[in-house]
Amino acid sequence: MTEVKFYGHGLPNVENLSLPGKLIVLEGPDGVGRSTQVALLREWLEAQGYAVFTSGLRRSELASAGIEAAKQGHTLGHITMALFYAADFCDRMEREIIPMLRAGFVVLTDRYIYSLMARYMVRGVDRCWLQSLMGIALVPDAVFYLKTTVQALVPRVLSTRGFDYWEAGMDFLPSSDYYQSYVDYQQRMLHMFDELSAEFGFSVVDASGSIDAVFADLRDGIGKIVAELKARPV
Amino acid sequence: MATLPDGTQLPGKLFIVEGIDGSGKSTQLDLVHKWLTTAGYMVAFSEWNSSPLVAKATKRGKKKQLLTPTTFSLMHAVDFSQRFQQQILPALRAGAIVLADRYVYTAFARDAARGIDREWVREVYSFAVKPTVALYFRVPLEESLRRIIVGRPTLKYYEAGLDLGLSDDPYECYRIFQGRILREYDAMVDEFGLTVIDAAAPLVQQQEIVRQIIAPHLEGALQIEPNPWRDVLGKEHLSGRYLDSLAHPGGQPL
Repeated sequence: MTEVKFYGHGLPNVENLSLPGKLIVLEGPDGVGRSTQVALLREWLEAQGYAVFTSGLRRSELASAGIEAAKQGHTLGHITMALFYAADFCDRMEREIIPMLRAGFVVLTDRYIYSLMARYMVRGVDRCWLQSLMGIALVPDAVFYLKTTVQALVPRVLSTRGFDYWEAGMDFLPSSDYYQSYVDYQQRMLHMFDELSAEFGFSVVDASGSIDAVFADLRDGIGKIVAELKARPV
Repeated sequence: MATLPDGTQLPGKLFIVEGIDGSGKSTQLDLVHKWLTTAGYMVAFSEWNSSPLVAKATKRGKKKQLLTPTTFSLMHAVDFSQRFQQQILPALRAGAIVLADRYVYTAFARDAARGIDREWVREVYSFAVKPTVALYFRVPLEESLRRIIVGRPTLKYYEAGLDLGLSDDPYECYRIFQGRILREYDAMVDEFGLTVIDAAAPLVQQQEIVRQIIAPHLEGALQIEPNPWRDVLGKEHLSGRYLDSLAHPGGQPL
C-alpha cells in the first residue's frame, strides 16, 4: 500500500504506520470458486517469490467460534450478526492483515467488507450504518469481483455440497423451498454486488468461464500490482 | 416514553443508570427494581455485557488478551444489540418498564477513553432507543476508587485499562482510565440530557431523589397481577408449596 487509507473512521494507532505489502481482495457470490482461485494464486505468487498471507470471513481467533454457534441456533438478529462479523473482521484486520502488510506480504483475502455489506443490505439493514461500521476497513490495493449468473452457480452448488440455509437466504425470505429461495437470494446478492462494484470500483472478472480462464485473468491483474514490490528505487 | 431513532414513541418506559465503577448505580437500580415490582409493574431488567451468546467470545478475548480497543468496542456492541433486539425493544413495545444497568453511554465513555473515534461509536449504536430517563451517578474519582479498591486484591486486565499501557501499576492505570471515563461522562451530560445524581450523597437519600424523578413517568406502564394464583389457592384449598421455585414474570424470584 502506498498510503494507509481507510474507508471511514479507520482504526486507532494505525495512521502513522508504513504498510509496504499489498492487500488484494477476491469478492463474488457463494460457489463462484473464490477459494479455488485463492489456493491457485497463493501457490503461483509464492513460486514467484512473494510472501503470501490468506484470510477470509469468519476466520478470526476472537469471533469465529461465536459466529458459528450463533449460526447453528439462528437466533441473532441481522444487526447483531453484522456487528459480530465486524468484530471478526476487525480482529483479523488488526492482528493479522495489518501486521502482514507491514511486513511486506501480499495479503489475499477471500471476501471483504463488501460481502458483509451486500448480505445485510439485502436483509434491510441501513446502508449508511453499515458503511460507517465498516469504515474500519483499509482501502485495498485491488478488489477482483468474480462475476457470474445464478444459472451458472446452481450446477456448482448442486455438484458440491448442496444448498446451505444461509446461502439460500432461508433466514429471511418467505419461501420454504430451498431452490426457489436460493435463486431469489443470489439474484438479490448479485444486484447488490453490481451496485457495490460501481461504487467501490471493483475490477470485474468474468467467472462464468473455465477455472483456467478465470485464473489467467486474475494472475494478470494481480501480477501487475505485486510487481511493484520487486521494483527497486532507481 | 422511550423513543426510537426515527422518532417513534414506544409505549414502554426505559430507565437506565450510568456512572463509573463504584458510583453505586447498580445498588440504586436494584432498589428501583424492587420498588416497581412491589408496586405491580411489569419490569424487565437488562445488564451490560450479559448476553450469553456473546459471553464465550468476549471471555476468550479477555483471557487471551486478544481484544484491541476496536474489537473490545464491537464485542460489547454485539452483546448490546442482542439484548436490545430480543429483550429491551420487545418489552418496550409491549408497554413494560425496562431497567438497564448501563446503556450505550457506557460504550461511548469507555471506548472514547480507549481512543476510539467518538462519532464512529455513536453511529454503531445509532439503532438504540433513547431512554425515558437516563440517570448519571456522578461521584468524585477518589471516592469511587476508595469504594472499589477496598477489599479487592487484584484488578482485571481490561477493567484496569492495562491494555492501554497507561501505567505498569494496575492501580495507577485504573485511576487514569477511570478519570478519562469520568471526563467522557461529564461531557455527555449536556450532549444527551443525562440527569445527574450526586452519588456521594447518602444512599437512602439518593434513592428518594431517584424515585421522585421516575414516578411522574410511570403512568400507563404495563402492570401485572403479582400473585395471579392467589384466588386459586384459596378456592381449591391448596398451599402452593411448589410455586416457590417459579420465577416471577419480572425476573425476580419471589
